[in-house]
Amino acid sequence: MLTADEFYLIVHNDSRGKPKLHSSAAGIGLAAALLGELVLFGQLTVSAGNVTVVDRRPPADALAHTVLDQLVGESQHQSVRTWLSFLGQSAATSVAERLARAGVLRRQENRRLLRTSVSYAPIDLNAVAWPATRLRALLDRPEPPTVPDALLLGLVSAAGLTREVLWSAGPRAHHRLSVLIPALPPPLKELVAHTEAAVGAAVLRGMP
Amino acid sequence: MPPTTATGRPSNVSDALARRRRGVPSVIFFVLSAAAPLTVVAGVVTTGYAVTGVTGMPLAFLVVGAVLALFSVGYVAMARRVKYAGSFYAYVSRGLGRPAGVGAAWVALLAYNALQVGLYGAIGAAATPVLERLLGVAPAWWVVALVAWALVAVLGLLRVDVNGMVLAVLLVAEIAVILVFDLGQLSHPAGGSVNLAAFSPDSLLVPGAGALLVLAMTGFVGFESSVVFSEESKDPRRTVPMATYLSVAIIAGLYALSSWAMTVAVGPERISARAGEQSVELIFNLAAAHLGDTALTIGQVLFMTSVPAAMISLHNTTARYAFALGRERVLPAAFGQTSPRTGSPRVASLAQSVLGLVVIVLYAVIGWDPVLQLFYYAACGGGFGVLLLIATTSIAVMAYFARTRAQESLWRRLIAPGLAAVALVAIITVAVDNFAILLGVAPDSVLRWAVPAAYPVAALVGVLWALVLRRSRPDVYARIGLGAESATLLAAQDFGGEPARVRAGSSR
Repeated sequence: MLTADEFYLIVHNDSRGKPKLHSSAAGIGLAAALLGELVLFGQLTVSAGNVTVVDRRPPADALAHTVLDQLVGESQHQSVRTWLSFLGQSAATSVAERLARAGVLRRQENRRLLRTSVSYAPIDLNAVAWPATRLRALLDRPEPPTVPDALLLGLVSAAGLTREVLWSAGPRAHHRLSVLIPALPPPLKELVAHTEAAVGAAVLRGMP
Repeated sequence: MPPTTATGRPSNVSDALARRRRGVPSVIFFVLSAAAPLTVVAGVVTTGYAVTGVTGMPLAFLVVGAVLALFSVGYVAMARRVKYAGSFYAYVSRGLGRPAGVGAAWVALLAYNALQVGLYGAIGAAATPVLERLLGVAPAWWVVALVAWALVAVLGLLRVDVNGMVLAVLLVAEIAVILVFDLGQLSHPAGGSVNLAAFSPDSLLVPGAGALLVLAMTGFVGFESSVVFSEESKDPRRTVPMATYLSVAIIAGLYALSSWAMTVAVGPERISARAGEQSVELIFNLAAAHLGDTALTIGQVLFMTSVPAAMISLHNTTARYAFALGRERVLPAAFGQTSPRTGSPRVASLAQSVLGLVVIVLYAVIGWDPVLQLFYYAACGGGFGVLLLIATTSIAVMAYFARTRAQESLWRRLIAPGLAAVALVAIITVAVDNFAILLGVAPDSVLRWAVPAAYPVAALVGVLWALVLRRSRPDVYARIGLGAESATLLAAQDFGGEPARVRAGSSR
């Protein structure tokens, strides 16, 4: 599963698909995960607060392809923070759609009086709960996690979800998490740092 | 940084982000809703007349407004250039160094906490008349205060930042009621003629002028929050400065008019005695006499909603201060935690609520007077603290521009903040001299020195703490003054200790 998909499921690890994370932090985290996927594919890099496309060949995934096209098409915008804000507006919907295409979530239209709202409900509850379970187990194992897993852990921590994901984990797991993020490759480490800063800035602004 | 609009071609990114940006009216509403005008006019102004016995209040509002407008010139110019523009201590860190910044942060924590907690002393007086009329009960002040406290504590955690629309409607209603009351007072002048004496400079050139200036400052608290939107405004060069100047002008005009109208209706020579007898009831009693019962009820209900609105707003401001310091790790990191589901600064908000509870219980048990000894003293103490912060910030602004040699006109980087600094230091000097009059205590009272001395002590402790951090935790020291942005320093830093390994390979 791709990073943003897992992040989405961790945030929506609930039988009714209700988010565990408030919308602005969830949007920022998902946007970071989408950028992170492109970094992991080797198509994007992050340094000094800016994103740079290094490989324009279309990625296999349709959503990643769309994001890359947007980054290429609007190259006048380079700031990571600008892209986190921009992608954050639509990331929840676009990642949910990707999960629906993959058969993990079911799109539901709820009609209430004059309004129609769309929600995404899990098809298999176990599949939805898996990423969080997997991350918990990962921190208890002695061998170091893979880069994508370390990125996912970093984003979970940056979004302020550590306690929710690691609720049953001991102090050793928390310690391992704290040394994991500084060990990320520099572009991903910076992406995680900007995610944490953007989530904090949203809190300080006070309003969504 | 906001994307520039200089590029000619259309951009989805710019358009999408621009939709969420704020314009001038939206920022003004945000600033003024935190100001809660009826709380100031009914609570601070009347108690101020009663305690100080000086009639120059209207002029004091105009003087402080002018000084703050001058201060804002450099303040908003610097806000455009710093990453975390949310609070005074960030400016002080940037301009005068990190130790001074932590000192300012401690002063700010003290001042804003005092202002917030003080409001619990006013809510009893604000709610009792309404409760008596509607329900026929008159609960003790601390019962009302505890209910309000619970409301604020819960809303603070849920981050139901009371709906912006509700606040805007309340704000407009409050201002409308204040203006109607003012008209009522001005059309029923004492002795038959409208008296302009309260605006004459003589009324402020008396012992006690410093007291009035501190009180007036209290009325302006909240104007500084406009810069939070520096990066989220439609036109960074225009929106925030315009909104700041307009907010200061609106506050100054409204409060000067209202405090003057009161002296006209009662008579300048009698205002202090009448305010002493009736306390916060004064403007409502005047309204009842001039405008009848309906106006009175509307006014009292709005006063009752105005105080909690101010409490919630100040609670959030204070909690965010502690949150930012927690993010920097200057306070324990726990203060930087958020509640995932609501995004509220959980620990910071709880800590502020605990402080409020302790103070309410303390006052209730000892039996101190809630309006005078809690609301009014805290308003004076808090207002004085904010005055110290603004004065320090104006000096920090000059230092910042002198050091960075940023392209900015001489007026903005030196003259305006310089004049503001001189005026603010003068106000502080007079205020310290007049502190006994401000509090209405004997000149040899302990409070007279204890309240103003609390700030230098807090600042000193802050400076020492920063120096300790510089020696023992340079990584934290580097983060001071950056607020939530301090997280980005992580990326650039080398960490002590052994970093964990991660396996190569990007598939699983």
